[in-house]
Order: sequence, then structure tokens, then C-alpha cells
Amino acid sequence: MNLTIDSKSPLPVYQQVIQAIKLEILSGELRDGDPLPSIRDLAKLLRINPNTVAKAYYALEAEGFSEGRSGSGSRVKAPPGRQDALRKAMLESEWRIFLEKAVSLGFSLEDIRQLIERINK
Amino acid sequence: MSQAIIDVRNLSLSFSRKKVLAGLNFSLNRGEWAVIAGRNGAGKSTLLRALSGVLLPDEGTIRHGPGARPEKIGFISDRLSLFEDWTIDQASDFHCRAFHIGDFDGQLVKRLGVRGRDRIKNLSAGERAILHLSLVLAQKPSLLLVDEVLHMLDPYIRDLFIEALIEAMAVQQAAVLTVNHTFGEIERLPERVLVMDEGRFIVDETVEALRGKMRKVVSRDPLPETQPCIFKKTEGEYKEYFIFPFQEELRQGNALDFQEMALPEIIKAFIGGGYEQKRMA
Repeated sequence: MNLTIDSKSPLPVYQQVIQAIKLEILSGELRDGDPLPSIRDLAKLLRINPNTVAKAYYALEAEGFSEGRSGSGSRVKAPPGRQDALRKAMLESEWRIFLEKAVSLGFSLEDIRQLIERINK
Repeated sequence: MSQAIIDVRNLSLSFSRKKVLAGLNFSLNRGEWAVIAGRNGAGKSTLLRALSGVLLPDEGTIRHGPGARPEKIGFISDRLSLFEDWTIDQASDFHCRAFHIGDFDGQLVKRLGVRGRDRIKNLSAGERAILHLSLVLAQKPSLLLVDEVLHMLDPYIRDLFIEALIEAMAVQQAAVLTVNHTFGEIERLPERVLVMDEGRFIVDETVEALRGKMRKVVSRDPLPETQPCIFKKTEGEYKEYFIFPFQEELRQGNALDFQEMALPEIIKAFIGGGYEQKRMA
């Protein structure tokens, strides 16, 4: 696993944990049925508050990315069909940030389209 | 719903004529980690000592929640006095008898390579801190008060110390209250920040809320007077302006670049602002 947290990021830490776990699921590092690290272990690994990990885990469970099993922690729930939707959603959020920056620098959508085509050649 | 492990109302305390704590109010919940920051002499250490029961307040009340009996409050400070001539084993035995601890294994201390027959006076500052922490943790505390200890620990011992605190939070739902000047590895651990000045809290916010309300503007031009600036710093031609409380409306009518700030820098701004006010007073 390769989870990192950026203290300077405007994204709250628990959301960074959610993103990081989702990335692990997308990259196949965490597979359907795999156990998530215990709250205690992940808090120690990332040097973050156990409550922050718990908050992220609740959110992941609420979104259907994991399920709790009493006594043995949570397990990853990653049915193959959902991967694509998730992949798209993550790319979209990255793109939104990029687009906002580009527009604030004065680029038009046409400029951006041309740029992408040029890079793609 | 009352999960408060400790609840402080109108706490005041004076040394001779100097008021060190001036009517403090706050409460801390089970499993919560809060950090107290503030300039030297703001009253931080005095507050921790009052919470630990070492100092008695002149006014106000400190109410302990369920499970926070005095022996469940662990106090760790850089000015700790242990029994210098005793060996680690003697001190541990004494501590376990005093607090009726039956299952002290001393694992944490053993990881430093010190032996039970080593005398406390021969331990380094970091080894003492770990010994003290391990004794306190054996009490299965519901509240841990940690007064500016981390800065004097080497990186390995600091890691052990921080991991032990996280463990106590995760396993026993202990609340942690630390006084810190330096953050480093613990930057992401507190959920709540209390900034102290002149014996009272000038900030009591969750880290998330505080980061939302704090911005920095770096500019060569003077800041419009409508911007709430708590502190400014000059770097050559440039000035750093620290804005609190920030709201989105503050962007209107200007092209200022409001930068988000990390916790240590936010705290520095409040402390700097405190000195600025003191100079002007």
C-alpha cells in the first residue's frame, strides 16, 4: 500500500484518506474482500488521528466501498462494475481543478482542446 | 449527551499577584486530541498542571467526567521529577503498587535497550520521557496531558512516543491534550486547536474549521482596511498578511490571492499577533 497524506492540501485529512483508499481499490492494490488496515494501524502509519481514520472508514462504508464485519474489521467491497464509474468520477474531479486553473489563466475551452490535441500527437 | 472527560468553567489562578489563568472555559471529550498553543508565559503549562490536580485553582471548577478519576489522568511534562536514585525496576514496582497495576510489561522502555537495573539519574531525557509515558499508560488513562515533551526526543523515541499516544486513543478512547511549540510529526493528530493568550483562550476551533477561516496574503501593497488582519510580517519589499476570520465575501472588489495555511503557520500567526498587541498596549 502506498497511502500518503499532504498536510498542506486544502482537502481535509479524512477526505484524503477516502481518496487514497479509493485509489488503492482502483489500482487493484486493494481487491474485493481484502481487509482494510485496522483503524489503529492506519492511524499510526499515516500519523493521523484514529478518529480521522474512523470518519473516513464510515464514509467509505456509507458509499459502499467497504463493509464492516464485527470483530474482524472492515473489508473492501469492489464489484467490477463500479470500477469504471469510480474511475470516471476521479478523473472528473482532477479535471475540474485543472479546468478552473486554466480558465483563471485566461485560456478558452478551445485553447485547451487544441492543447490536448497537440500533446496527444 | 455528555461525553466530556473534563469540563472546565471559569478557571482562574494567580501566582502572587499575576493572574496566569483568567477565567477559562472549555471541555474535552473522550477520544479527542486537542493541542494548546500560545506564546511563552501564556499560561499553557499552568493550565495542564491545574487539570492534573497539581495546582489548585483560585476560582472556577474542573469537573471530571465518568471514568476520569484522578488516577486516570496521566500528566507528562519536561519538568518531571522521578526518583533519581531508584532503578527503573524499583520505580516501576512502586508505581504499579501505588496504582494497583497488575499487568505492566515495560515493553516500551525495553525497546530503548535500557535495563531494569539502570538508575533513573543515568537516563537521557528521551529515555525518561518514555519511562514516564509507559508508567502513565499502564494506568490506562482516560485523559493524557502532555506538556511540551516531543521537542526534546530524538526521532526514534519521538516515533515511539507518538505511536503510544495513538494506541492509547484508539484502544482506550483516551483524550489527549498536548502543549506544543513545534509540530512536525504530530501536525495531523490534533482535531482541535486552542490558542491561549493572557490566561484565556483566544481560539477554540476544530483544525478543519480553523483552516477554513485562516488565509495568508503576500503583497507589496498595503492591505485594504476592510480585511481582518490579525498579524503582518515584513519580508523585504513584501508583506505577509494573516487574515482571520476569512470569508468568501472578502474576495470581492480586489485581486488578492488568499492562500490556505497549514496548522503550524496558523498558530505562528496567532502568537505573532499576540506579541504585536502586547507591543501596542
